[in-house]
Amino acid sequence: MAAERLTVSVISPERVVYEGQADMVVAPAWDGEVGILRGHAPFMVLLGEGDLRVRNGDREERFWVGGGFMQVADDVVTVLSERTRSE
Amino acid sequence: MAKAREIRRRIRSVENTRQITRTMEMVATSKLKRATDRVYAARPYAERLAEVIGRLADPELRERYALLRRPEQVKRAAVVVLTANRGLAGAFNANLIREANGLIERLRADGVEVDLHAIGKKGITFFRFRRERLVSERTDISDRPTAEDAASIVDPLIDAFTRGEVDAVYVVYAQFRSALSTPPGVMRILPVEPPADFEAERGAGYILSPSADEILTRLLPLYVRNSVYRALVETAAAEQGARRTAMKNATDNAAEMLDTLRRSYNRARQAQITQEISEIVGGAAALE
Repeated sequence: MAAERLTVSVISPERVVYEGQADMVVAPAWDGEVGILRGHAPFMVLLGEGDLRVRNGDREERFWVGGGFMQVADDVVTVLSERTRSE
Repeated sequence: MAKAREIRRRIRSVENTRQITRTMEMVATSKLKRATDRVYAARPYAERLAEVIGRLADPELRERYALLRRPEQVKRAAVVVLTANRGLAGAFNANLIREANGLIERLRADGVEVDLHAIGKKGITFFRFRRERLVSERTDISDRPTAEDAASIVDPLIDAFTRGEVDAVYVVYAQFRSALSTPPGVMRILPVEPPADFEAERGAGYILSPSADEILTRLLPLYVRNSVYRALVETAAAEQGARRTAMKNATDNAAEMLDTLRRSYNRARQAQITQEISEIVGGAAALE
């Protein structure tokens, strides 16, 4: 299932911080940044501390995450983080 | 006449009380709305986390993770009792305390030592009165509990469990099924019971970074913290629901009481007038 674009959600324990479509996600994985484009293989990764960038055409949403977890499957990117805020 | 004045004073007093309970009902209604939103907003995170842990956990490998390990014999258990800081919410606090007492009795009957942690003034007051030793007590959790509140409650317990000082951790909280149904409940947060719907193979088809073990080791504490966070927000919403119901009943009762009082007042007033008239008539008759 290759959708046109990625579906991205950034979720904290308290609420869904962000939900939307994107062309690319760059996340601060525990061992360095990873970029996710559509068609990415199923992927689970621990996050470190840093900036999460959700690119959408020439717009970019930025979030700060302090640890957490990211799951990628079927062009759906889910970021779970206890400490996150949009920047 | 004294009786009519007496009744008028009571009417005024009941009217004041009704004004207060009506205001409290409205405050609780608006707080309930916000608290309910928080309960719903907390669901996506909990669901996704449970799903991932279900996918990665393997019951066969229970012994490898500190937070999944089941001690052969439970010698000491921590019981965290959530109650409100305030009353005027009907049987809300009493129900939670009764549930906690039931759990404590069951544990003690099995020969388990119980460490009590009370959160909320009502629980603290009760257990002090019963001369129970409280290992910790907190009254600083507001109507709007945060994930940090949950972490500050549960992190010391996770550490104690990891060190083997306690063999199980329970939370007594109010389940928020709806504004009208908020039964007390007990949740065992440690050892973690991984969500039931396991995938056949752990993390099958996923690229895992670092390893499944390490991801799970890091996610389990998040899961435990989130369980407590959910207990906190549900209890907070349940408290507002219970208070709204209690205050609505109080307002209705006051209205009913006012009806009765007004009727007695009118009767007393009429009796007084009748008596005055007959006195005047009697007085005039005496002059003839």
